[in-house]
Order: sequence, then structure tokens, then C-alpha cells
Amino acid sequence: MRRLTLVARTIFIEALRRREIYVIILITVAVLVLVSFARVFHLEYLHKFYQEIALKTMSVATAITVIVLGARQLPREFDNRTIYPLMAKPLARHEFLLGKYCGVVVAGLFCLMLFMAVFSAGALLMRMPIAWSVFAEFVYLQILLVAVLAALSFLLSLVVHLDAAITVATLIYLLGSALTNALSMIYGYVGAAGRAVLLVLNYTIPQPKLFDLSAKVIHNWPPVSAAILGLVTLYALMLIVPYLGLSYFLFRRRAL
Amino acid sequence: MSDSAEHVIEIEGLCVRYGRGAKAHSAVRELSFTVERGETVGFIGPNGAGKSSTIKTLMGFIFPQAGRVRVFGEPAGSILARRRSGYLPEVSLYYPFMKGREVLELYGGLHGLDRATLKRRIPELLEKVGLAGQGEVLLKHYSKGMQQRVGIAQAIISDPDLLIFDELSSGLDPIGRHDLRAVLLDLKRRGKTIFFSSHELYEVEALCDRVIMIHQGRKLADEIVPDLLGRLARGNGHPPMSFEQHFMNLVRSTGEEVAA
Repeated sequence: MRRLTLVARTIFIEALRRREIYVIILITVAVLVLVSFARVFHLEYLHKFYQEIALKTMSVATAITVIVLGARQLPREFDNRTIYPLMAKPLARHEFLLGKYCGVVVAGLFCLMLFMAVFSAGALLMRMPIAWSVFAEFVYLQILLVAVLAALSFLLSLVVHLDAAITVATLIYLLGSALTNALSMIYGYVGAAGRAVLLVLNYTIPQPKLFDLSAKVIHNWPPVSAAILGLVTLYALMLIVPYLGLSYFLFRRRAL
Repeated sequence: MSDSAEHVIEIEGLCVRYGRGAKAHSAVRELSFTVERGETVGFIGPNGAGKSSTIKTLMGFIFPQAGRVRVFGEPAGSILARRRSGYLPEVSLYYPFMKGREVLELYGGLHGLDRATLKRRIPELLEKVGLAGQGEVLLKHYSKGMQQRVGIAQAIISDPDLLIFDELSSGLDPIGRHDLRAVLLDLKRRGKTIFFSSHELYEVEALCDRVIMIHQGRKLADEIVPDLLGRLARGNGHPPMSFEQHFMNLVRSTGEEVAA
């Protein structure tokens, strides 16, 4: 456990000391400040407009941060050759991978929490009506999405080049739900083999929409039940475990 | 396990190949040797001879196509083998966003050293490798030579029984080489086993008990250094020869044999 923490800590330190996260946060804050100026145009439902822009911007910014951080971990270790002194220590390959994964997730959560603090501060300053229980559910599902995207970008970085891994993971994040909708539409028109492929794709490509409760926050709709949250948690685990398992399978005998 | 009864390093029939099919290239061919406890062994050969591939196999970074590689009687690369080994890579950067102290805490922690031990040992180590007072500086501000000194510090942080150095003094200036030699002599005096590859033959002459020469993945010679140097100095019917000249002759004659 200590070894996992030590490996994870390096990523967290990196995330804190690099300027990327702060630049993303500053851009997000700038967007929110600009949106809040819409008040001068006497827009109706300004708070909904603010919330929608804010939550979408923060979700996308967190996702991109996690994808980039996750995808570059292993290629960077190889490029900088930092992997050699690290793997010369009594550190098993699965501990290395899990430590890296935990570090990316923690850095992603740090980013998400900063965003949520900014959002909450903005909402309180503008005296917006927010259903905090729904907001908590929104944050919880975003945490799950961070964990899924980190595992996905990890796996992709072991299969394709770093740039391709970032691109594919970003496309899956942005278009995953639309893609799986399209798969279900063509399901009836293909043969048995095609259906098998579509089924595999359907269950292996994450559907980010399932983790998005922003509409409920914006429109003050009632919270979802604990059972639904449990099912989405299970769905996230069903993606994370195979992604990490496959990553380990690819990495365990890889020449360094 | 009794170390005195078993070899610290045992390589038998090692074959390492890169690529597949027509593009396959053999880096190491049927290489066999052992390193005994307390020995300092130099591993030399021209570029592409297979030194780094052999060392990477020893550390478990690559997997051989054939042969048996054991460290302290354990399979190379196993956790047990790595627990007792320290390794300095040929070229390596150390996380640029971390401080010297932090990176040593990471490597020491992975070796299982507790906080109190690390707090005591890290300043001592930094002093030993000539980085006293640099522990709180980010590694991105370190020069190449300073990075290599960090590398030496991380390799010896757990006071391992076996030290493996790939290209011993790569990236070090003359003062760095001098300091490194002092560190190695200290380790040698304390009975540690040291195995290193190098292009600097004078290092081998100065430090090693034994030298293993390889070329094109095959072992050319495995000799006791004082015996070899004595024989070369005496000439034995030939003009006296330097170690460097002997090495060049061996490599060239092998190259001619292969060409013939």
C-alpha cells in the first residue's frame, strides 16, 4: 500500500507543480465571470444559463485534464527513462500501474474539487437557488467518470501513441453516448457476427451521459434514487476493472 | 539462502533478440558467466556489444528468448532480487518537477525505508555524492552531471548488497568521476558486489577484480584484472601491451573471424 501511495504521490506533486491545471481553472473562472456579466442584459433565468455553462465547462475541463494526465503517464516514463530507476526498486508491475492510476484519479479529483468550489462560490455570490443534494449526486457521478476516463486513457496509452490515445479518449468522452446510440440503431440491420461486435463495443465504450446529472442541478429536479446511483457505480466498475486488467495484461511482459 | 554458497549473479546461455522474423536482431548470444559475492566486475565491449541488453535482463526490464538469469539465486527481476540490488541506468532523467530530497524519499520508500531512516540517510547521501545543500532544488534545475549524481544516490540509498551500473560514469565530469570512484571504493571495501558496464577502460583497471569482455553478444574473455595486467606488462614473448590495446586486438580479431 505504501508503494502505491509513493507512486501516486509523484503524479499529484506533478499536477500541483505544473501550471496546466491552474491555467484551465483560470480559463474556467474567466468564462464564469463573463457569463455572470450576462446579468446586465437582464436575461431571464440567468442562473440557469450560468449553471449550464459552468457545469459543462467544468466537466469538460476535468475530463480533458484527466485524459491528458492519464494518457501521458506511461509514455512519459518511457521517453524520460524514469521508469528504469523506478522499476529497479522492489515494485511489482501491477503496483506501478495501480499507483499511477490512483495518482491520476487523485489529481483529477483535486481538479474537480477546485472547480466545484469555484462553482459553489459563484452560485452563493449570485444567490442562485441550488439543490445541494442533487449537486452532491452530480459531483459523485463526476468522480466516477474521472475514474473511468483515467482507466480508459491508461489503456489507450498502452495500445496507441500518446497523441492518438488523447484524441481517441477525448472523442469517446465527447461522443461516447452518441456512438452507442448509433450502435443500437444499426444493431437490427447486421448479421450475428456483426451483432456480437456491436454488443462488445456497446459494453466497452463508456457512455459519459450516464454520469451527467447537470440537467437535474440546473432545473432543480428531484435527486435520483440510491439504487440508480448504485447501478451507475456498478457500471463504472464494470468499465474500470477490465480497462485496468487489460492494461496490466499488456504491461506485465512489456520490454522496458 | 546462503550467499557464500551461491553466485550473486548467474547467467547461463542467455540469448536476447529484438524484433521478429526477417528483422530479428540478436543482441546477446549464448552468454554465460557468474559474479561472486564481494567481487567488482567490469563488463566491457564496444557499442552494440550487448552490455545494456544483458544488464536490462538482469534487472527484469526485458525478457530473454533463452537462458537462465538469476540474482541472489532468485529469478532476475523478481521482487526478492530487486530488494537486494541497486541500479544506475545509463541515461535517466529524474522527475523534473520533484526536488532532490523528494525523489530520494520516493526511491528509498519503495525500498521499504521508513521516514526516520530516510530523514537521516538522505542528507548523508546528498553529501556523499556531492549534492550537499541541493536537496530542496527542483530536479529540472539540475545539470546532467547533478542528475547522474542523484542516480548514484538512488542506487545506493538502500545500502544494497549488489550494485549494477549501466555505463558507470556516463555524463559525469572529472570531479564527478573522482567522487564516484570514491563511493565505489567505499562500497567495495564494505564487501558489496559491484557489476558495471563501461567504455572507460581505466575505470576497469582501477576498480575491478575481474573483467568480462563481450562483442556482438558473445563473451570474448573473462579474466582476473591483476593477472591480465601482469601478463600484458610482461608480454610473455610479445611486446608489452596496454589493456586498451589488448581490448582492441580482441575486438578486431573477433570482427575478422566473423567476416571470414
